[in-house]
Amino acid sequence: MAKRHAPLTRIELLQGTLDLIILQSLRWGNRHGYGLLQIIRTMSHGVLQVDTGSLYPALHRLEKQGWIEADWELSENNQRVRVYRLTPAGRKQLAVERSKWEQFSTAVAEFFAAPPPEEA
Amino acid sequence: MSPKDRGARSEDLDAEIQSHLDMDARERVARGESPDDAAAAARKEFGNVGIVKEVTRDMWGGGGAEQLWREVRYAVRTLVRSPGFAAIAILTLALGIGANTAIFSVVNGVILRPLPYPDPGQLVLITSQFPTLGFDQFPVDAAEFLEFRERNRSFSNVGAYFSTAVNVGGQSSPARVTSALASASLFPTLGVTPEAGRWFTDQETLPNASPVALLSDELWRSNFGGERSIVGQKVDIDGVQTQVVGIMPKGFDVHDQGVRVWLPLTLDPDSINSYRGGHYLNLVGRLKPGISLATARVQLEPLLQHWREIDGGSPDPTQNRVHTPNTKNHRLRYDDLLTDIVGSAGRALWVLQAAVFLVLLIACANLANLLLMRAETRHKELVLRAALGAGRGRLVRQFLAESLVLSVAGAAVGLLVARWGLHALVLSNNAGIPRATRVGLDAHVLMYTLALALGTGVVFGLAPALRLNARSMSLSLREAGSRTTSHASAARVRRALVVLEMAMAVTLLVGAGLLLRSFEKLTRVDSGFDRSQLFTFNLVLPAATYADSVRRVALFEQIDNQLQQVPGVQSATAMSGLPPRRPVNANDTRFEGYVAKPGMPPQNVDYYNYVMPNYFSTMRIPMVEGRSFGPMDGAKSPPVVIVNQTLARLFYPGQSAVGHRIQPSGIVDTAQWFTIAGVAKDVKQGGVDAKTGTEIYLLDQQTPAYEGFAPRNMNIVVRSTLSRDALASSIRRIVASVDPGLPVVGLRSMDEVFDDALARPRFLAELLVIFAAVALALAAVGTYGVLAYSVAERRREIGIRMALGASEGGVLTLVLRQGMLLAGIGLLVGLAGALAVTRVVSSLLFGVQPTDPATFAAVGLFMLAVALVACVVPARRATRVDPLVALRLD
Repeated sequence: MAKRHAPLTRIELLQGTLDLIILQSLRWGNRHGYGLLQIIRTMSHGVLQVDTGSLYPALHRLEKQGWIEADWELSENNQRVRVYRLTPAGRKQLAVERSKWEQFSTAVAEFFAAPPPEEA
Repeated sequence: MSPKDRGARSEDLDAEIQSHLDMDARERVARGESPDDAAAAARKEFGNVGIVKEVTRDMWGGGGAEQLWREVRYAVRTLVRSPGFAAIAILTLALGIGANTAIFSVVNGVILRPLPYPDPGQLVLITSQFPTLGFDQFPVDAAEFLEFRERNRSFSNVGAYFSTAVNVGGQSSPARVTSALASASLFPTLGVTPEAGRWFTDQETLPNASPVALLSDELWRSNFGGERSIVGQKVDIDGVQTQVVGIMPKGFDVHDQGVRVWLPLTLDPDSINSYRGGHYLNLVGRLKPGISLATARVQLEPLLQHWREIDGGSPDPTQNRVHTPNTKNHRLRYDDLLTDIVGSAGRALWVLQAAVFLVLLIACANLANLLLMRAETRHKELVLRAALGAGRGRLVRQFLAESLVLSVAGAAVGLLVARWGLHALVLSNNAGIPRATRVGLDAHVLMYTLALALGTGVVFGLAPALRLNARSMSLSLREAGSRTTSHASAARVRRALVVLEMAMAVTLLVGAGLLLRSFEKLTRVDSGFDRSQLFTFNLVLPAATYADSVRRVALFEQIDNQLQQVPGVQSATAMSGLPPRRPVNANDTRFEGYVAKPGMPPQNVDYYNYVMPNYFSTMRIPMVEGRSFGPMDGAKSPPVVIVNQTLARLFYPGQSAVGHRIQPSGIVDTAQWFTIAGVAKDVKQGGVDAKTGTEIYLLDQQTPAYEGFAPRNMNIVVRSTLSRDALASSIRRIVASVDPGLPVVGLRSMDEVFDDALARPRFLAELLVIFAAVALALAAVGTYGVLAYSVAERRREIGIRMALGASEGGVLTLVLRQGMLLAGIGLLVGLAGALAVTRVVSSLLFGVQPTDPATFAAVGLFMLAVALVACVVPARRATRVDPLVALRLD
């Protein structure tokens, strides 16, 4: 049995962040829902935990927005699976979201790195 | 997206999630778990599959209608899962909405529905006012009608009518019906055309015209078989062969009097001066287009100022040479016709509507509490949905959909309740409210019901929806798993709702209590005579066959004598006026030696009553002074009158009235004086709730000689130990043996006569008491529910207290104190509210102040007692909490 990560190191995903992570994961290749969960876990070294339940509403929402598309394919186990891929619009959206995220994280990082303000 | 596409997509989603679970399970098997364990673990990892699917489907969006349909279907599914809750909610709503719909049907039919004429807002009832006599609304005389119609410039037309009763049909089966004599101008004024035939011509209202009549649709159907061929034929009306010239449209009735026969009002323009002073006509005018009632009132004032000058009289109103309207003591009054017809019933109905609306609000508060408690138990599910990405909007919509499904279902059942209630209302109350025939469930009422359903749904559905605030939604799934100990703010909302319910119920109870006490006081008013074992019926002698006054008197004497021979009858008499709803006569009457000084009453008497000699002994009206009529008062002996106490006090203050002389109006010899033989105790002629008017009793036997007249319309009064049915057959037999053409009308016990007169206050009091009782019951149930829930919520705490040694009594007190505190606050708020609003009903009260301390105190005690009962059950349940079980919970 795989060793579970200690709860403290897991991070609950904020709503919206999940969209960004899904889009980024699909840039690396088309994937079904279960595959997405695995790659997110692997790529974040188990730190980012996506609640399984919230993955599917998010996927279908992104699909509705036209950022991803899905088709039924056969998996290597000959199982019908619904595979998602990024659309051109999704690519653009990813770029936008990503740049927003970078601005945000840079700002937060700089904030914490800043020297204490001088006393007035 | 069509429902079909949606179905296909749903199947896709099922397959997609199944593939996910399969893959997870396969990997787990690969890691060495057993297939069963793996499948279970995969499911556990995934979470609540049903909810995930639902939230996912929500992401597909869809049109507004489709979304709504989805919410509704989901709501119905949820409600079907808790049938008990749904049933209670729907029944509560059905009662609340049903009662509201029923009362609104009455308000709609009576007050809101316009009169069935073109431009009904232009119709005005014109009456007279005599400020010095204290008459606020009085008929006008025929001269005033003819002159007003001619001289005014505000009305396009004016019609006149007065209602009376006639015997219709031949000698075999006469029917007594309400009739009206109407001017030819009345119908063009109202703007109606006969259903068949024609209206009267002007010629037919002149003296000596051949007799014609119009029948109401109702009479035409009931007595003439609904055959159109009746038009042009002759029927017997009061012994006169009268040609039917037309049939009125169904429901036509000028002032809600149930008129069945319309006869021409015969007026001779050449005799106009002989008409002055005989006030008996009601006028209906149609305002010219664009002229409002207020404008007309201003325009018509100069007419009053100059009326007597036009007739050649002096402009000085004290020079009362000609009896004509003036600006001082003989004014004209103009009222909107519909407002006048509705009259004081309007306020009573609005009070009922407000009361029944309060009941609905209380029901809503109860349901809001129920839904709040349900939401608490569904908290986990809600948080889960929110965490999966279901927006707050979606959850609010879901709550609303649920409450709307409940309220619409409640309204549907409520319509049945309303239909049944209306039936009961109309049956129980025929005389109480005007225009009762117009009451029904029409499109307006259905709109109102729909609005109520949607409104209540939103009101009680929003309470739990608004509780879905940011804090509760940000709880994580894991936190949601454990039950938070106390949702303090939710509990606060619930308690506030209970206080509000109690307060509203108390306000209603106070209102109902005041009206009930008023009604009780009305029934206890001394009518002035002994009503027990007293029966009455009415006879009208047709003028054509009973032209001779002496014959009229003889006929009534004969009937009385025969009745007195019936075993079980103690005595029988007759009187022209039937208390307690007599219209005022206001006859000018001269008082010998009387000079009206300022502040003294004018020489006028409110009621003339023509009676038989044994009248006072039969009615058991005590004589206060002097004697009653007796054998010495023969038809030709010196004329005597009996006066009532009010008249004696008013005209002979500080002295005995007996022996003084008065002169009634309309006597043959104006030199003849009538001697007051006695003073009788006051009788409530004009209503038990009205001030007693002045009255003189004239001996029917003496009227032919001294007044050249005797009334054709008499009320026979019988004091008898027989039952009404036994008496009725004797009465019919005797009347038929004397004259088979005379219908016996309105045979009732005198108690019933008085009961009928109190139909409206009783109707109002009864309904208010019912509504208040329902309100209190709902509030009590609400208190019980909140307290029971709170006890369940605090089981753990109570268990700890008991484990630490708290006694049963202590726990009981703890819970009771919590409940009674709410009830107490509700009571105080309610009593304060009642103080503020009972002023609205003050005009409906009789002998009770709107702040009547006894009523307030009684309501307070009663309400506290009911609240105590509602609190005791959950409190006792709390004492039975087993500490061990309670501590093991969670």
